[in-house]
Amino acid sequence: MAFDDLNRRLGVFALAFAGFLVVFGIPNWVYSPSNIQKLILSPLFWPYVLAGLLALVGLGLLFVRAKPDPETEVHPSGRAGWRRLVSLAVIMVLTMLLLPRLGMVWTSMLAFVATAGMLRTRYPKAAIICAIIMPLVLYAFFAHVAGVAIPQGYYVRLP
Amino acid sequence: MSIYDSILLGLSLVANIEAFLSLFIGIIVGVIGGAIPGLSATMAVALALPFTFAMAPINGILLLLGVYKGGIFGGSIPAILIKTPGTPASSATILDGYPMAEKGEAGRALGMALWASCTADVVSNLALIIFAGWLASFALNFGPPEFFALILFSLTIIAGVSGDSLLRGALSAIAGLLLATVGLDLVYGTNRFTFGDPNLMGGLNFIAVLIGLFAMPEVIAMAWDPTGHLGKARSLGKAWVTFADYKRCFKSIIRGSLIGVFLGSIPGIGAAPSAFLSYSEARRTSKNKANFGKGEIEGVAAAEAGNNGVAGATLIPLLALGVPGDVITAIIIGAFMIHGLQPGPMMFVLNVDIIYGLFMGLIISSVLLFFVGSVAIRGFRFVADIPKRILMPAVLILCIYGVFAVNNNIFDVGVMFAMGWLGYAMLRARIPAAPFLIAFILGPLLEDNFRQSTLMSGGDFTIFLRGPITWFFWALTIVTCIAIVRGAGRARKAQKM
Amino acid sequence: MKFTKLMSAAAFAVGLGATAAWADYPERPINMVIPYGAGGATDISARTIAEPLGSAVGKPLVMANVTGAGGATGSVAVQNARADGYTMLFARVGSHSVNPAMKATLPYTLDDFRFVTVYEINPVACAVSPSSGINSMEDLIAKVKEGGVTYSSSGVGSLLHIAAVMVLDEFGVENPLQQATHIPQKGGGAAATAVLNGTATFLCTNSSAVASFVANGQLKPIMVTTAQPVVGFDAPTANELGKPALNQLVGWTGIAGPAGLPDDVADKWGAWMAAATKDAGFLEKMQARGSVIELMDPAAANAFIRGQYTKFRALVDRLGMRIEG
Repeated sequence: MAFDDLNRRLGVFALAFAGFLVVFGIPNWVYSPSNIQKLILSPLFWPYVLAGLLALVGLGLLFVRAKPDPETEVHPSGRAGWRRLVSLAVIMVLTMLLLPRLGMVWTSMLAFVATAGMLRTRYPKAAIICAIIMPLVLYAFFAHVAGVAIPQGYYVRLP
Repeated sequence: MSIYDSILLGLSLVANIEAFLSLFIGIIVGVIGGAIPGLSATMAVALALPFTFAMAPINGILLLLGVYKGGIFGGSIPAILIKTPGTPASSATILDGYPMAEKGEAGRALGMALWASCTADVVSNLALIIFAGWLASFALNFGPPEFFALILFSLTIIAGVSGDSLLRGALSAIAGLLLATVGLDLVYGTNRFTFGDPNLMGGLNFIAVLIGLFAMPEVIAMAWDPTGHLGKARSLGKAWVTFADYKRCFKSIIRGSLIGVFLGSIPGIGAAPSAFLSYSEARRTSKNKANFGKGEIEGVAAAEAGNNGVAGATLIPLLALGVPGDVITAIIIGAFMIHGLQPGPMMFVLNVDIIYGLFMGLIISSVLLFFVGSVAIRGFRFVADIPKRILMPAVLILCIYGVFAVNNNIFDVGVMFAMGWLGYAMLRARIPAAPFLIAFILGPLLEDNFRQSTLMSGGDFTIFLRGPITWFFWALTIVTCIAIVRGAGRARKAQKM
Repeated sequence: MKFTKLMSAAAFAVGLGATAAWADYPERPINMVIPYGAGGATDISARTIAEPLGSAVGKPLVMANVTGAGGATGSVAVQNARADGYTMLFARVGSHSVNPAMKATLPYTLDDFRFVTVYEINPVACAVSPSSGINSMEDLIAKVKEGGVTYSSSGVGSLLHIAAVMVLDEFGVENPLQQATHIPQKGGGAAATAVLNGTATFLCTNSSAVASFVANGQLKPIMVTTAQPVVGFDAPTANELGKPALNQLVGWTGIAGPAGLPDDVADKWGAWMAAATKDAGFLEKMQARGSVIELMDPAAANAFIRGQYTKFRALVDRLGMRIEG
C-alpha cells in the first residue's frame, strides 16, 4: 500500500487514533460511576460513538484518493523552515513558563522581539518600538479601562 | 391603549439626546471591543454593564444593546483583516473575508460586511417588533428532543464548509467533537480526559480554541515561510463595495437574516452557528459555488447577515419570556433587574413604554451602526498596511492578552498555543478548520440534549419524534443528507470525466 | 522544583520586609476572583458589594471572572495563589459546600481556604410550572410516589441538585435518587427554563433566580426553605410545613483567601465588610433581589459553612451520591 496519498496517510492515522481511544484512551481517561442503569446514559457512550465514527471516516479516507492540490504545495523553506518552526515552539513554551513569573507585559515584549527577530523583519527598529509600546498600551487598556487583572509577575510591577 | 399610543409613549422616552447619545456611545464601544480579538462582544457588554447602573433604565439598556450590536459587527473587522475573529460570531466571516483581504479587497469585504450587518439588523429588529409575542411562545416548545433534532440538522452545515473533501471535513468535525468531550460529564459529573488537571475540568475555553485554530496557524505559517507573502497585494485596496455587489448578494443577506432571526429566537444557539448555517445555505444556492472559500463576497455577506440577524432576535425570548438566549442577553437581563424591571409577559403590560422605547431605539441603532461602522472601517484600515513580519508578532501578543482576558486564566493561553499547532497541522494536511469549530460548538449541545431527552423519557427513544418540530427537523436533516451524498457523487463523476 | 524553592526563598526575603508592612495592607489593587460567569447570582452579588467595599478598602478591587467546572477552576486559582491577601475569592454555596460534599475528585477541600466573611444569604424556593397541576409540596410528593417526576439543576454538584434531593428526602421520599430523575442543565437560567417548558417537573433554587418568573405567574412556588416567608413568594415556609431542618438549605456568598492568610489581613476584611454592608445603596439593591444581608465574622462564617457542609456530606454519603471518578 502506498502512502504517498494524503488521504491514505490521514486514514491510517485516524484508524490508529480510533484504536488507541477504544483500547486505551477511553477506558483510562473517562470515568463512569458504577451504578449506571442505562448504557446510553453512561459518560463513556458518546466517546465510544465518536471513536467509532472516527474509524469509519478513517476507512473512507483509505479508499478515496485525495484530489491534487490546486495550488501545488508551497514548501520552499525545507530545513530552515523546520528550524524556524521549532524556534517558534520554543518561544511559545518559554512564554508559558515566564508568564506567571515575569508578568504578561515583560513576557510579551520578549516574545515580540524574539518572534520578529526569528522572522528577520526588514524593519528591526520599528519592531523593537512596537515590542515596547504594544504590550504597554494593551496593559493600560486591559488593566485600567477593561478592569482585567493582567498578571504582574514577581519582580517589576506596573501601576 | 392602542399600539399608536404605545408608540407615542415609547417615542417620548427615546426622543431625547441622552438616549441617542447612549446608543451612539454603546455602538462605538461595541465596535472597538468587537474589533479587539479576545475582548469579544460578550466582554464589551459585561464591561459596560456597571456604567449603566446610574443611568435611566431605557438609556442604560440602549447603551448595552448598542454595545452588543456594535460588537457583533466589530468582530468582523479583525476576522477579515488578520484572520482573527474578534468575537465567536464572526468566525464564518473569515472563510471568505480573509481570502478577500489577501487579494487586496479588504475594503470591499469590510464594506459588504457592514452593509449586510445593517440590513440584517433592520430585518432582525422588525422581526422582534412584529413577532416578539408569537415567536416567543413558539420558542418555549423547544425541549431537549427538539433541540437535539435542530442541532443534528445544524451539523449538516459541516458539508457546506468542508471545502474540496467531505471526508477530511468529517475528520475535522470528529476531532472537534472529541475535543469538546474534555471536562466534567454533564449527567454524572465525572471526569473525561481531564488528566486530573483542574483547568481542564471546565472544558477547553471556546475563545482560546477559536483563536488558536484561526489566528495562530497564520503566525506559525509565517515562521515556516516568512517571505512567501512578499509581492502579493495586501492593502485595503481601491475596490469599494458597490451597489451592484449588494444587489447580487441581497437574496443571501435576506436569507441569512431570517436564519438569524429564527435561530436567535430560540434560546441557547447563539450567533456563530447561525452565521455558519447562513453561509452554507448561501454557498449551496449560489451560482458561484466554486468561488466560496476563495474570496467570494457573497460569503462575507451571508455570514455577516447570519450573525447580525441574531442580535435583535435574541431579545425576543428575553423580552417575552425573561429567558436569556445567550451569555450576552444574560448580562443584559442583569441590567433590567438592576433597574427593577422584570422581563417577561407582564412587562408588555406593566412597562409597555419601555418596550416600545426599546423598539424605537433598536431601529435607530441600525442607522447609527452604519455610520459608526463606516468610520471604523476607515480607522482600522492601517492594519492592512502593516508589514506582515511585524503584524504577526503583534497578532501573537494581541491574542495572548485577549485570550487571557476572556477567563483571566493563563492556562487558556497554553490552550491557544496548542490549538495553533493543531490548526497548523490541519492546514498542512488540507483539513478545513471550520467543521472543527462548528462541531466543537454543537457537539456538547448534541450530547447533552440527547441525554436529557433520554433522562426525560426514561430511555424511550420515541421521545425524539414527539412532535411536529422534531418531525420537521428530522425530515430536513434526511433531505439535506441525501442532497449532500448525491452532490458528492455527482462531483466525483464530473471529476472522472 | 529547585526553581520554586529559589523563588520561595526570594519571596521570603521580600516577605521579611513585608511582614512589618502588613499594617500597610493593601498597598495595591486586590484581585477578587469570581468563580462563576458574568450575569450570574455570584457575579451580580460580587459586583454589587464591590462598590461600597472598594471605598472601605481604599484601593481598587479588580474583579476577575474565572469560570468553569461549577466554580472549581476559579477556586483553584485562589487556592494556589499567594496568601498575601491580594488574591481573594467570592466563594459560593455551590463551590464551597455542595461541591466538596459531593465530589471526591475536587482538587481542593475546605481546609485550603480561610473564610473572612459570609455576607449574603439567599433563601431557596421550590417551584413548579402552573400547568403541572401541582399546588403544594404534598401534591409533589404524591406525584413523586407515582413516578415520572423530574427536577432540573444547573449541573451536577450545584446547590439546585442537592436541594431537590434534600427536600424530597426530608419529605419522606425513600431513595429519592431512584424515585425522581435529575435532569442537569447548563446554568441556572437553563434550569428555570426547563421547568417553564415542561422538560422538568420542579426545581429548588435561589429565590432571586426565579423571582421574575414567579412575579409573572410563569412559575408557581410551593415552598421556601427559610423560617421567614420570602417577599413575593406566595408559598409556605419549611417551618410551616414542619421541616425546620431545611432551614440549612440556603444559598450564600462569602469571601475567602488561601489557607495561609495572615490574621491581620482577615481582621482588616472583617472591618471593611462591616462598613460595606451598612451601605444603603448596597442593602437596597440586594434586598430588592430577595437576598438577606447577614454579616458573619471569620469564625462564624467558618462554622456556618462547615455546618452546611457536614449536613450535605451526611446526606450524600447516606444516599450514595458521592462522585468518585
